[in-house]
Order: sequence, then structure tokens, then C-alpha cells
Amino acid sequence: MIYDFIVVGSGSGGGSLSYYLNKSGAKVLLIEAGKFYRKDTFPKTEAETSAHLYWGGGIEFGKDGKMGFLRTRMVGGSSIVYQCLMDRFDDIAFNDWRAESGVEWFNNQEMDKHYTQVENDMVLHTFQREEMRRNGILFADACDKLGYKWGFLRRGQSNCGAEKGNDCVGCLGGCFRDSKQSSLVAFIQKAEKEGLEIVAETEIHKVEPNSNTCKIHGLQNGKQVSFEGKKVILAGGAFGTTRMMTMSGFKSKLPALGKNFASHPQFMWLGFQNEPVDAHKGMFQSVASKDPSFRAQGFKLENVFASPISIGMLMNVTGAKHQEYMKKYRYMQCIEVAVRDENIGEIQCDNKGKLTIVKPLSDQDKTRRDKGLQAIENIMMTAGANEIYKSNFYFGLHLMGGCVMGTDASKSVVNPEFQVHGEKTLYIADSSIYPNAPGINPGLTIKSLGHRLATQLLK
Amino acid sequence: MANFFSTRATKGLLKVGDIYCPKNGDFPSFTEAAGTAYLNNLVANVPADDFSSLNLVLAIFSFLPNGILNWIISAATNSQSNPSDGIIPSTLRQLNIGLRGLCYSIYYSEFTNPNYNGKKPLEVIDFKLNRVVD
Repeated sequence: MIYDFIVVGSGSGGGSLSYYLNKSGAKVLLIEAGKFYRKDTFPKTEAETSAHLYWGGGIEFGKDGKMGFLRTRMVGGSSIVYQCLMDRFDDIAFNDWRAESGVEWFNNQEMDKHYTQVENDMVLHTFQREEMRRNGILFADACDKLGYKWGFLRRGQSNCGAEKGNDCVGCLGGCFRDSKQSSLVAFIQKAEKEGLEIVAETEIHKVEPNSNTCKIHGLQNGKQVSFEGKKVILAGGAFGTTRMMTMSGFKSKLPALGKNFASHPQFMWLGFQNEPVDAHKGMFQSVASKDPSFRAQGFKLENVFASPISIGMLMNVTGAKHQEYMKKYRYMQCIEVAVRDENIGEIQCDNKGKLTIVKPLSDQDKTRRDKGLQAIENIMMTAGANEIYKSNFYFGLHLMGGCVMGTDASKSVVNPEFQVHGEKTLYIADSSIYPNAPGINPGLTIKSLGHRLATQLLK
Repeated sequence: MANFFSTRATKGLLKVGDIYCPKNGDFPSFTEAAGTAYLNNLVANVPADDFSSLNLVLAIFSFLPNGILNWIISAATNSQSNPSDGIIPSTLRQLNIGLRGLCYSIYYSEFTNPNYNGKKPLEVIDFKLNRVVD
């Protein structure tokens, strides 16, 4: 059977793209390497979430072992475990993309219709003051005192049940209410009802495009499987798509393959308060920095938290000292800085598919990090923290680049029409095409790029 | 191919776990609290090569005197702030996160030893999570 479209990868890009393609009546196959969980089958504990929803059994490391990368594997991809913060890019982000790639349609005027369509297809909620929990209040009040601008987050969610006492930190392992507007909820399950064919637990390792169709090959339950589509769109994320492309032999034709990797390195610090903060209760994240000077300096602050295992991992002390910190779990205030990093990283892949990630922090990254951490310290001290745990562990959640879009085939992997340079039947539509780090949550834009490609393919 | 800890490796993990999470006030020791029966479930998706190395390292740890093991854990912990990109600090950093991740995943979880009747670590830190399903 030859499908009209095969989408490989079901995260933010693949989910929205397959939804819009399927809606047109085309015969679409969505393939995912991970399992197909539903709201009632997601892991129920933090330990199982890490073990079963992430590649590498929890965390993957860069070559130097300094930075951890969190990369998910299940239908819905990273959108299942992320906070589903839905931000449009600003002119700064698009101007920098345009300058780096030469792609003229990277601008808010062109992207507006795609953003609008995706926003209309999701349930979005902007937090209100009465929804703030103490972690947010401490952050906002201290920002006010320091003159830092902050704002409420806009999140994809329909009915989180916070007023009924639901603690949303649990949804970092998959939302068991189908409230969070992951790709699974907002797009895939809807498309499934309209005939989208979904094949899970199938890992594609080779793509073979020709002039009329594209064949793909992979493993399903240990057995070789192949599929064929008139057009194949890779959406396996920065690591997954770069891996498929490299294993398919494109590195010799496209020297930029694997390059320009960025990840918004994130550093979380903990401030200990005298009264309970209970940052894990209710809607645990509602505000973030909105200070133009922070944006100009290349960082943003988010008011985050996590469950005990993750918080324990932040504190690089052992034994009784570690336990004494953990005993104050309910008293922790938490803020992270996400750095708008330079895209100097590289995703390398050997012929067996083993990935090696080279991701040093540049001097500019370190300067941005230090400015952000100074702002965190100012906020925590102003909020009355009696001690600050300055974690030196950092990680990347927003994995971007490796197959960047551009007009020059010597510096990019896909052209402005999302086509792999020199190929008529092979496309890429995920965060791997990002020319550089936007410094803004990438989810909404990935989905909107999926809508743009769907519109183009259906013309 | 599923990943299974050897008996030796499990012994090594319990020794390491007791360094990370000793008996301390209300906190039980790792050996008391850890539900080792759940361990294999938590490493099901670790790549086979990585798991094989982990299994071997833990098995070796099971033979080491506590003093030497403490020194290794201390070196792994300190490697986190070592700026060097050399192979030894890089390996130690991965060991640090890998071991701590495994130990905390068991210790701060619901997967406790069924024979342990004392206060569980999640109770000691007073962590309760409400899951409200309509």
C-alpha cells in the first residue's frame, strides 16, 4: 500500500501535521517509536515516568557529561510531559531566524494565520491572579519589588481540576484528565476518530526517497518493517530526525546535517522559605518573567517545580545533608533560568544509530546564564529565602536544530518548503529545522509550522 | 532484550544507596526502604550497552570496602563542578547522575520494600499528591 503521506514522529510537529493532512481526506499514516499511552494508562509514579517515557531510560548526556537531555518516546512525544506553554515567537526570534537561514517567510505576518489556526484548534488558558500558588506569589511579589516585569503564562489546558484539589505536577508524566493540550489530546486522538492510521512502537532507521515515492524501513517488535508513501515527513525531533537522516546516508550530501544544535539550557535553583511553599500543589506553574531587559540579555525565568526524585537530582550532595534538604521539600521555592543559547552544538550519529551529543556552553551562554542566576538570587533573597541551593546541574528540554531550514544547501538540510535539499518526496517538520534558539517555548511554533507544511502539501 | 540486575549488582547498588541515603532520623536507610524487586522495571529502557556497564560497575562496587566506595562516590559528586571535558571527569559525571537517579528513583518513590513497616521517605518529606479524576 502506498500512503499519500507518512509522518514519522508524533510530537508537536508530527501530531498537528498528521491532523491537518488527515482532515483533508488524504490517506495518512502516523508512525511513532514509543508506546501508545492514554490518559488512564500513563505511568502513575515519577519513577516510572522517567523510566518508561524517556529515551535512555530517563536522561541522556552530552559527550562531556555536563548537560542532561530529556527526550521522550511515546505517542504525543514531548508535548505529553511538557508544560504546554503556548507562546508565539516575537520579532527578535523571527528576525534572527531570517538572518541565519535566508528564509523570508520567517516573520510574524506570514506565521499569523498558522498560529491562529493552531490556537483555534486547542483550548488555551491564560492564568489569573487567583490561580497563583505560593511559589508564584513569592516570585511575582519579589519581581515587583525589584522592578522586574513578569506575566501570567498561557497554557494549553481545558479542565485541570485545580479547584477540586488536583495537583498538576502529576501531569508531567502525562495528563490523566486529558486536560493538557498535548499533541495527543489536541490533534492525534481527534484525527484517530477521523481515520488517521497510527502505528506505535515502530522505530524507523532508514528513509529511501525517490522521484515518486519514499520508502522507509524500521523495526517493529524486533522485526523489519517497511512502508511507502507518496510523501514522507520526518518529525522525530532534533535527535530522532537527525539520527534517521544520518543513518540513511545523507551526511555526505548535506554537510550541515547534525549541526546548529541548541537546547535552551536550564538551570534550576531552590530557595528555602521559613513557611511551607507547597510548590507541588495545585497549578504549579502560572507565571514567568516578561522583562524586556531579560529578553535582550538572552534569558528568561520560569517559576517551576518538580516531584521529589527530580528535585533530589538537582542537589548534588549525599547522605544526611541531602536528606536534610529533602526534608524541606515543602518549603522550597523554585525558579529556573532558560538560556537562549548559541547553536554551536552538534548531533553525531554512528552507523549503528548511537548518538553522541556535543554541546558546550559558549562564553556568551555562560554570561547569559550568570545574569539569569543573579536575577534568581535577587528574587529569592527579596522573597525572604533563608538559604539558596545553587544547583550546578543543567539540562536541555527544548532540543532544536540538526536539520536546519535554509536557502543554502551547504549550510542547511531542508529548503524553505520543508523539503530535504535535492529530494522531492522527503520533508522534515519538527524542531530539528529551527535555524537557531528562539529563547521562547518552541511548542506552539512547531505545531504552527506543521500547519504551514500541511497547507502547502495539500495545495 | 530485557535488562536484569545480577544479584551481585543489586548488592552493589544497596551499598551505594546507603551512602546516598543512610539511616538518618526518620529517614530509613536505602537498604531498609528500597523495593529491589522493582529495580528491573526502572531500567527496562536503558540501552543494553549502558546497562551492561552499569551492571558491571555495581557488581564491582559490591566487593569494594566502604572507604573506597565512599571515595569513588565523593569523586563522582565533585566531578559535577569540575570544568574539565576529559574522559575521567566526563565518565564520573555520568556515573554520578546515573547512580543518584537510580537510587532516588527507588528511595523517593512508592516502590518500597514490602517488608519495611517504618515511615517511608515520601512520608518523611511530607509529600502528598492528589490526583483528582472526574
